[in-house]
Amino acid sequence: MSGWPKNPKQLGKEHLRFDGPVKVSGSARYASDMQPVGWLYGMILRSPWPAARIRAIDLRPALSLPGIRAAVTANDAPFTIRYCGEELAAVAGLSKQACLDALIAIKVDADLLPFVVKEEAALRDTSPRVFENQPNAAEPREMQTGEVDAAFRTADKTVEGFFQTQVQLHHCLETHGNTVQVTPNEITCWASTQGISSVRDGLADNISMPLDKVHVMSEFMGGGFGSKFGPGIEGGLAARLSKEAGGVPVRLMLTRFDEALAVGNRPSSFQKVRLGAKNDGTLVAYELETFGTAGYASGGATAGGGGGAGFPAPYIYRIPSTRVRQTTVAINAGSARAMRAPGHPQASFGMESIMDEMALALGMDPVELRIKNDPSEIRRQQYQIAAERFGWNAKHHSPASSEGPVKSGTGCAGATWGGAGRGSEAEVRINPDGTVEVRCGTQDLGTGTKTLIAIVAAEIFALEPAAISVRIGDTTFPPSGGSGGSTTAASVAPAVFDACQNALADLALASGMSDPTGSNWRSATARLRINPIVARGRWKEGLSSRGVGGVQMAEVEVDTETGFVRVKRIVCVQDCGLVVNRLASVSQINGGIILGIGFALYEERILDSQTGVVLNPNFETYKLPGAADVPELDVILQDMPERGVIGIGEPVTIPTAAAIANAVSNAIGKRVTSLPITPSQILGLLEKLPGIRSKSGTS
Amino acid sequence: MQNFEYAIARSVDGAIELSTSESRFLAGGIDLLGEMKEYITSPKRVIDLKLIPDLDRIDTSTSTWKIGANVTIAEIARNERIRATLPGLAEAASEVGSPQIRNVATLGGNLAQHSRCWYYRHRDLRCLKRGGSTCYAREGENKYHSLFSGNPCISPIVSNLAIILAALNARVNVRRGDKDVTLTIGELYSDAWNNPLDHTSLLPGDLIVHVEIPTQKNRSTYLQVSEKGDFDWALVSCAAAGRNSEDEWADISVFLGAVAPIPYRVESPLLESGKLSREAIESIAGSIAAKATPLAHNGYKVPIAQALVRRALTRIVS
Repeated sequence: MSGWPKNPKQLGKEHLRFDGPVKVSGSARYASDMQPVGWLYGMILRSPWPAARIRAIDLRPALSLPGIRAAVTANDAPFTIRYCGEELAAVAGLSKQACLDALIAIKVDADLLPFVVKEEAALRDTSPRVFENQPNAAEPREMQTGEVDAAFRTADKTVEGFFQTQVQLHHCLETHGNTVQVTPNEITCWASTQGISSVRDGLADNISMPLDKVHVMSEFMGGGFGSKFGPGIEGGLAARLSKEAGGVPVRLMLTRFDEALAVGNRPSSFQKVRLGAKNDGTLVAYELETFGTAGYASGGATAGGGGGAGFPAPYIYRIPSTRVRQTTVAINAGSARAMRAPGHPQASFGMESIMDEMALALGMDPVELRIKNDPSEIRRQQYQIAAERFGWNAKHHSPASSEGPVKSGTGCAGATWGGAGRGSEAEVRINPDGTVEVRCGTQDLGTGTKTLIAIVAAEIFALEPAAISVRIGDTTFPPSGGSGGSTTAASVAPAVFDACQNALADLALASGMSDPTGSNWRSATARLRINPIVARGRWKEGLSSRGVGGVQMAEVEVDTETGFVRVKRIVCVQDCGLVVNRLASVSQINGGIILGIGFALYEERILDSQTGVVLNPNFETYKLPGAADVPELDVILQDMPERGVIGIGEPVTIPTAAAIANAVSNAIGKRVTSLPITPSQILGLLEKLPGIRSKSGTS
Repeated sequence: MQNFEYAIARSVDGAIELSTSESRFLAGGIDLLGEMKEYITSPKRVIDLKLIPDLDRIDTSTSTWKIGANVTIAEIARNERIRATLPGLAEAASEVGSPQIRNVATLGGNLAQHSRCWYYRHRDLRCLKRGGSTCYAREGENKYHSLFSGNPCISPIVSNLAIILAALNARVNVRRGDKDVTLTIGELYSDAWNNPLDHTSLLPGDLIVHVEIPTQKNRSTYLQVSEKGDFDWALVSCAAAGRNSEDEWADISVFLGAVAPIPYRVESPLLESGKLSREAIESIAGSIAAKATPLAHNGYKVPIAQALVRRALTRIVS
């Protein structure tokens, strides 16, 4: 049982985020807003070539330009470039235009090398190698349970498919970057980061400065999605520029163009899958062979757990006999980084697609097939809750059976995630005037962490959340972890709870009042005279837990004459342990679903085989869902307060694309096999492309 | 971007006087500034047209309406007279960009805008249209490219307004030196069909002054399909317009956008007959496929074009 109050006044209620007004009014200061005295712009020169041997870089023409104060190379020449956009050099100057002019002036002497940017091509032995002395394809990772071939022979029905997912970019609205000042004695950094501590470690290492001399702050930041843990190469370059320029601050924020090239992505996947089941729907055998790319390297120095292109299989299902073989193939493109639920959306799309194929083969309802095979009791309940809310039984029809050229369809999919808490600390200060300050060395990814901290403190002290001052995003505060893996809420809330409990005990002692909370607060704190109460707390067991499910159902309309897909409605049922802020939780879920819609229908990094460049390094052709593309989102939070706090940032984006793909397949009666689902793919599936004749009658 | 001189024109004559072989005109700036920031174009002088009086007027006093080159797309989309008399024009305007873009972008700029081909727009590439030797799109990523072209460049026209104005038989009044030149929409773009370096037939220093639209075609419509629901370029667009009195139809024309470097005219003897039965419409739409030369990734534009022709014609005759 959890140690949280049984009848909370603040926990689980709807709270507006405190920093809403400063954010929408523009007075919140992000790393990209920092203008410390004497600051310089910093900019990076990136390789226009996908593969090259850099013989020499001449910075002198840049340094001789007016307004330029420093220039550094990314590496000591000679060195090798392995993707378009890799860092060559950086400059710092008085204006953005001075830096732009300087980047053009830098002379780079390079020998161009052969390159490969498409996964299938990179697999061929005859293709150029990304690294000279190793093949592009890594050794496959193989896993087997049971006797797979024998199990397939016992199956009554076998279905197979080939599914592809694209490379998706993080495209945080605030680009990557830092404002860094390096003096002989200390480093000060304002970072756009989801891990102030890891930025501190990275910078200390980069400039060889002891940790106690490195101070990193991030009061506000504009999104990370897994791509903003370390200082990045850009942070290291900014620090070197600052040092080179005599210790003045350098603000080096990447451009939108840079964001498409060099700061991470979700790996692609190509999945050949086979599934066997008994006539009653029991899954008996599964086989998967995959490859995908995580760019030139699987992760990279600041990747924060990007890993390769593998993913969990057979995802959320338990099948007695499975054989899985996964390979990551290198191409001349920017490296992957962890991206909101790394591996899971790809896993979900392939697995849930083949599940729907199996349901069709068996003549079974897709929800029924899932309930039959899903080992999670929570998710089995969620399918029932979702089906009722969605009206699944009334809405779900056989494939392509709706009237007219615009076909409707329904689909579903499930997810799993951890979301556990871990060792965060926090400090509470109760001042004699009754004011309360909470300090925690975490950072707010945009999820409302400050508000969450205030809600927890207000609950313990029986005060209003607005009465709590919350300070985060500073490495001089009690340490907390990076905001990744959906761990922030489950780490920070227990630490704040513990600190508040300790502070309350101290206040009771100091004031001589057995219950100093609520209406007694002012009289209790008044007895403190000069010294405030300062108490520390740390994360401990019993206030958080791990492991969530999550189920989504999608309703779509597909125009079979134009291929245009419109998502009409998504129903999401998500278990979430103890809800701290109901409004922020639902808002975070909405965001996760919208990201999933982007993955399903719009987003794709497009590389050119002839030149190796990213063709869509902007929001014009790298398409993100806009307001017009967001359907009715119906979120049901499945409260389980007895489990304590669990993070839900990631599970909520996992099943969206699979549910939409299944709904589209149901609408048109053809299996969607790749993401994003564009008009081109729909019309191709419907055999409406010129030159493609209907296959009926020939097979 | 490169340094440039900034000049303000107070009259059409003044703008022409200020122009040189290395100057560009600035109205809304949506297209020009983007190209300058990407170093695609680096004019020595930028001539601001926004203070020229009367260029932002819509004159409906005669049966041929005149819309000034500085009229914003937003104004065209919301103007009550345009919505009532030339609904297709208002529909095309309302699909341009986003509200922010429509508030700034102008009619002249929309017609004169340059290619959006992602090879042409890429800072690190020099494609055929940029004076290089190769159209990368032909063998490369061409899902947004043309089904029809008269030259090796296959970047399509993306101006929504050009497509509907072609269907409405509009003419573009251009100041060329000391002469006023009137071009049909076909003439405004014919060089882009023939020459990979051209986006329009405008010569350096040409200034679009206004567009003349005859209002005899009392039925018009514009439709487009994009990947996203809003704020996205058309994959294919279609405009249809005609003159209807009682059951008589005349002068029906249909144009497609984003499938050729020019507004692509759908030609059919059935259109001239003025008898548009369901079968006739089907046959007109079906005729597109035989003429198109799809590439590896843009074949899907053919069925979209057919659907839009069918829907646009059905909409104006019903």
